[in-house]
Amino acid sequence: MENHAIDIQALRRGSLKAEQDTPPTCLAVNGLNLFYNNDAQALYDIKLEIPRQRVTAFIGPSGCGKSSLLRCINRMNDLVDGCRVQGELLLDGEDIYHPRVDVASLRRRVGMVFQKPNPFPKSIYENVAYGLRIQGINKKRVLDEVVEKSLRAAALWDEVKDRLHESALGMSGGQQQRLVIARTIAVEPEVLLLDEPASALDPISTLKIEELIYELKSRYTIVIVTHNMQQAARVSDMTAFMYMGKLVEFDTTDNLFTNPARKQTEDYITGRYG
Amino acid sequence: MTDLAQYIPAHRAKLRYIKDRLATVSITAGGTGVLLAILLIFFYLLYEVLPLFGSAEVEPGVQHDWAGEAPALLYVEEQGEVGLSVSAGGEAQFFRVEDASVISRRDLAAGHAPVTVIARDSAEGRLLALGHGDGEVTLARHDYRVTYPDDGRLITPSLNRLYADQVLRLGSGAVRALAVSDSNNGLLLVADLDGAGLRGLRYNREENFLTGEVTLEEEVLQLPSLAGQTAALYLGAGQRWLYRLDRAGYVTVLDISRVGDDGVVPIVATEPLFEGGGPLATSAMLLGNISLLAASEKGELAQYFMVRDAQGGNRLNRVRSFDTDGAIATQLLPEHRRKGFLLIGRQGELQLFHTTAHRRLYAAPLGIEGAAVAAIAPRGDALVAVSGGVLGQWQVHNEHPDVSWSALWDEVWYESYDEPAYIWQSSASNNDFEPKYSFAPLAFGTLKAAFYTMLLAAPLAICGAIYTAYFMAPALRRKIKPVIELMEALPTVILGFLAGLWLAPFIEDKLTGIFTLLVFMPVGILLFAYAFSRLPLSLRSRVPTGWDAALLMPVVVLIGYLSFALNDPMELTLFGGDMRLWITRELGISFDQRNSLVVGIAMGMAVIPTIFSIAEDAIFSVPQHLSDGSLALGATPWQTLVGVVLPTASPGIFSGLMIGLGRAVGETMIVLMATGNTPIMDANIFEGMRTLSANIAVEVPEAEVDSTHYRVLFLAAFVLFLFTFVFNTIAELVRQRLRSKYGSL
Repeated sequence: MENHAIDIQALRRGSLKAEQDTPPTCLAVNGLNLFYNNDAQALYDIKLEIPRQRVTAFIGPSGCGKSSLLRCINRMNDLVDGCRVQGELLLDGEDIYHPRVDVASLRRRVGMVFQKPNPFPKSIYENVAYGLRIQGINKKRVLDEVVEKSLRAAALWDEVKDRLHESALGMSGGQQQRLVIARTIAVEPEVLLLDEPASALDPISTLKIEELIYELKSRYTIVIVTHNMQQAARVSDMTAFMYMGKLVEFDTTDNLFTNPARKQTEDYITGRYG
Repeated sequence: MTDLAQYIPAHRAKLRYIKDRLATVSITAGGTGVLLAILLIFFYLLYEVLPLFGSAEVEPGVQHDWAGEAPALLYVEEQGEVGLSVSAGGEAQFFRVEDASVISRRDLAAGHAPVTVIARDSAEGRLLALGHGDGEVTLARHDYRVTYPDDGRLITPSLNRLYADQVLRLGSGAVRALAVSDSNNGLLLVADLDGAGLRGLRYNREENFLTGEVTLEEEVLQLPSLAGQTAALYLGAGQRWLYRLDRAGYVTVLDISRVGDDGVVPIVATEPLFEGGGPLATSAMLLGNISLLAASEKGELAQYFMVRDAQGGNRLNRVRSFDTDGAIATQLLPEHRRKGFLLIGRQGELQLFHTTAHRRLYAAPLGIEGAAVAAIAPRGDALVAVSGGVLGQWQVHNEHPDVSWSALWDEVWYESYDEPAYIWQSSASNNDFEPKYSFAPLAFGTLKAAFYTMLLAAPLAICGAIYTAYFMAPALRRKIKPVIELMEALPTVILGFLAGLWLAPFIEDKLTGIFTLLVFMPVGILLFAYAFSRLPLSLRSRVPTGWDAALLMPVVVLIGYLSFALNDPMELTLFGGDMRLWITRELGISFDQRNSLVVGIAMGMAVIPTIFSIAEDAIFSVPQHLSDGSLALGATPWQTLVGVVLPTASPGIFSGLMIGLGRAVGETMIVLMATGNTPIMDANIFEGMRTLSANIAVEVPEAEVDSTHYRVLFLAAFVLFLFTFVFNTIAELVRQRLRSKYGSL
């Protein structure tokens, strides 16, 4: 067996290295088509390049396929019965849909936070340690360290440090969502996928999550799906506007919100539909 | 604010209110009704069971002056209306119990030498033997004819001499002690004569098959001469053991079925009766003439019978002793229909005992002066005693003496058994048999059946539920789940029928195949899975996710077919042609055709759908976002299952298991039909069992209402009720704990 603690160090070095000399594109989506049940097409020929260590937002009306696209990035769509993907999706130049790709290790590299906070019915500590435990890391010292670091990174440490071993289900919704983020970053992913992470939360919790995203972007490539255009404008560097399963426009956030290239985009961000 | 009421018409509002009230009332009524019904069942069972544990009661009746001679022997007939007293001098008189009036009188000594001793053949028998001063023995039998003239009951007693044409003379001295046994084979008389010692005579009855004429052929038993003064002689059942008790408190047992080398009947044992020593006060044979009861002058009271020891020899065993509170018995009265007896004490004490239950049911002064001579009516409900010129009568309420905690749950040393045992045997062909009401083998059988059932059902049902809920393609799941749930609707009587008539012979025939299957099925499935994982990706990816189970079907069928097809050659090579014989001979394990394996499989089939259905629902209803969360962290599906899904579903899986267990414990028809219903205590998988529920089903139709047997069956039902109650309570507690730990999602 490999020593996983060393493995993680190596990974950290790898991501540092990536920061210095790899190209600025983290994820490249190339002609991606997504079908549900073979006939219903959800995504049409998506092409975009998501930059490293930036926040990229997907916006668009309900059912436009933004969540589907997000779930393609860590292959969560595999779990949907009858779902089929065509085209390329490259993570650091590797096609994640290649048959030899181990989905579990892909998902460790591409973490995901869902719309509804989903802490496991375990203690706060065990929730954060879960990602390490499934990799076989059970050393208490390592776990303690990672749990504290992750909870601090998720700005939750001060609130929960005295009740680490209480059930995570007793936390508020906003705390739960930050716990889920802490749990996700505990395994040091390269990419963080956030699927409307604040939509189920109150404004103050939303604000905290947004601050957290801002802090995390220096270390992770973040892709966020949001309904809330203000949120997209506040937190993201790049924004993709999707409509009816097609990518309409992809640009820097500033450009897209102030000077959209397409009429459809302008209509949407000015609230004509959606 | 608008007034909401203006939008709802008044009659609507009222109707809505009425519906709401109705719903509340009917739901409350339904819920309370269920609770009430369960409580009622509980209390009804309790009501039927409680009389078993009550003490006896004795109610004194009217006393009358006793005009006749003081009796040496007293008897009361069935109805407790007519009694017989025989004086020491042989004067017999029938009397009416209600007013002590004499019906008829007869001098049994008339025409013979004076009577020196009076003996009876058994506790319930009506044969009297009188020993006379000249060594002669005369026999008489008293009978009671019941007629109903003018719509009233009339009991006509009669006393007839037996063998009147025969002179039964054992020797020349006066008879001091006498034992008599009259059976279809012949008459056996043993007596202790003044100056001549023990004498025995056997009259073998020989019937001339042409004329039907009966002749008695005399045979003299050569009995050894014994020291001491004989106090009592008893002949055991089967005319094998002769017990001779002397006044000093020693017993000598002789085997009169054999003759030693010297032509004399051999002595089997001579030993003191009492631990504390001391002279014998009185003695009696218990119903059935197997057990001897003896009381000492120091207040000791014990029961003895012959047992076979490990060397194959016989010895008299002191089975149990009874606490008399120091009362010294003057008379021990065995009951006529059960293994109980009464003790009449020197100070006029009356105590009621039961031997099997090892229980004293009653102890109080009799309430008449002096040493009494008493008799208990055959039904055990009336006691009559004569003492100091007074005839007393008592009503005895002693319905269920044979049940006690120790008789139900402890090892009991039953008559004719070599050692204490847990036995359930509620009835037999003869009347003087000892009912054996031990719940231990039934409870054991219940748990054994449940154990083998769960051994098969729990892993299959839970693994099946996990696969179906978590790994299987939804399209396949939609087909599989209803089919398995449909199995639950299968009447258990059909399962039991199939198990008993088809599966049991099949398993017996294909035993090797069954075990081959048990070994090769998991191995084969794993091998196939491994081979599948080594297939080229292009081939593997053709199987849609979650449909892999379908690939296993042909493998399962093939392994099943091969196991049974290869049964005969394998049996031939491995077990010399007959595995059943091999198990019995080589392993020394007995094999019944209807055994626990059959029950395990058949009842497993009945229980699997229950567990499966509940566990599957529990696993399936684990929120998708939880398993997604785990998968998104890079967990494999298996890690997600073990780390998140199973803990979250554990309350449901656990209740599924417990409900399945509850069903296995209470299941009746399958165990009834698929086992031999032998109440044995043996965990052997190749032997059957009798469960509490099957026992009730088998025996309730033949149990007399309100009899001890009937109430004991209710007690079995009560125990079963408690079993399921305990299981369900534990299940609920554990489930609530699990739920508070993993629930509320």
